[in-house]
Amino acid sequence: MSSGYLYSITEGFRGLRRAKFSAFVSISTIFFSLVLIGIFIIFIFNIQRLIQQIQSRVELEVFIDNSYTLEQIDELREKIFKINGVESVLYISKQEAAEIFKNQFGQDVFEILDDNPLPASFQINLMQQFRSADNAQQIFNHIIKLDGVDEVLYRHDLLVLLERYIRLFIIIIFTMGVLLGIGSIFLVSNTIKLIIFSRRTIIEIMKLVGATRRFIRRPFIIEGVVQGIIGGTFAALFFYLIFRLINLEIPGLILIDQKNYSILVVVGMLWGYIGSKLALRKFLKY
Amino acid sequence: MIQLSNVVAKYPGGDGLELVNLSVEPGEFVYLVGSSGAGKSSVLKVIYMDIVPESGHVRVNSYNSLTMKKKHTPYLRRKIGIIFQDFKLLTDRTVFDNVAFTLHVTNTRNRDIKKKVLRVLAEVGLSHKRDKFPLQLSGGEQQRVAIARSLVNEPIVLLADEPTGNLDPDSSHDIMELLEKINSRGTAVLMATHDYRLVRGSRRKVIKIEKGRTK
Repeated sequence: MSSGYLYSITEGFRGLRRAKFSAFVSISTIFFSLVLIGIFIIFIFNIQRLIQQIQSRVELEVFIDNSYTLEQIDELREKIFKINGVESVLYISKQEAAEIFKNQFGQDVFEILDDNPLPASFQINLMQQFRSADNAQQIFNHIIKLDGVDEVLYRHDLLVLLERYIRLFIIIIFTMGVLLGIGSIFLVSNTIKLIIFSRRTIIEIMKLVGATRRFIRRPFIIEGVVQGIIGGTFAALFFYLIFRLINLEIPGLILIDQKNYSILVVVGMLWGYIGSKLALRKFLKY
Repeated sequence: MIQLSNVVAKYPGGDGLELVNLSVEPGEFVYLVGSSGAGKSSVLKVIYMDIVPESGHVRVNSYNSLTMKKKHTPYLRRKIGIIFQDFKLLTDRTVFDNVAFTLHVTNTRNRDIKKKVLRVLAEVGLSHKRDKFPLQLSGGEQQRVAIARSLVNEPIVLLADEPTGNLDPDSSHDIMELLEKINSRGTAVLMATHDYRLVRGSRRKVIKIEKGRTK
């Protein structure tokens, strides 16, 4: 390594030591921005989980022609199962339908009528990626045309409503994410700008004695990156402790991939890097 | 070596240079005199390319303002030593580190840095104060540190912008003697001053500047 590089690294670390307060300010800025974004991401994951839970409850009920034999029913089941997007097909016999009726309404169907009028049916669950109103409608169209199918019921309105909210949710999340991202980089960059401003004398002297642009930038960028790593590490530590506490209270409530912690450190480092580069542009025009 | 031909330059917040012609030959000692605001500092800034001329041209050794690119400015400045009235020292570093700073900036090897800094500090008579911080020194001594810093890269010319402006008469005299000594060893000096007394009786070349025009 050339003496120039070594000097830049030493200067970067010296800068952190010399300007303890401003280093503290920019590390805290990175830390708080990352915590804010972290909370935001956790919020997104949970909403997403909620949406998936609601979607998984959407199923198609297929009522089977009363005259169909068990063999025919089996064939029909095979046909339905082969339709693209169908995850599972559960057969509910007339008998089981009567039991469900009894459970739900508290009355035995045989007490009211002599015969069981409830048809046998299939309960169809759709694959994750087919749980949209359009896809469900397509599968519906497919099934309704099959011989032996009397009627198909599903909550089309619920899916449409859900999709409308998901779209709105995505727009809001996207806007908030972009604003939060830009906002925090701006914040980091402004903090570093203040630090650089406080050291304009050293920059001026560097320029006068013939330092290249790259040489002047290097220590500040190293400083920014180190601050980013420290801020990111603190943010990772913060979430680690919070999740640990929560999981102690309610085990298994939050499952987090360990690599998310390193992502926080990497993002912190990137912010320190981008922030210091943006901030330096103002001071180094030659 | 340094040649300014019909230079016109504007400077933000100042009147700028209307028409400047001057030259400094190798080993020469030249005074640039004029009242405050006449454009002395701007002439020096044009030479170290802190201001780019609007018209005319500046030539410093092989560098020409008409042809050189911005990225070459640092390399031009390595050929020039610059000192100011307010010294521009780093107050949180020792005398030694202030001088060594220039060499770090120009990628000099560590073992050469120590040798060069000690030599130049001896030249300005400050070897014994190398571990002091600037604010522990007198004004005259601080200017000597600034001179040492500007000399350590062995420049072809030393630009001095009112170097005695903040000093008492005795210290001013010492600094002038030091500049003469440096010049006698072959480094050209271009010194901007508003103090006509320094120039009076001197056999050196004197260039007058008034309202951005050289006479």
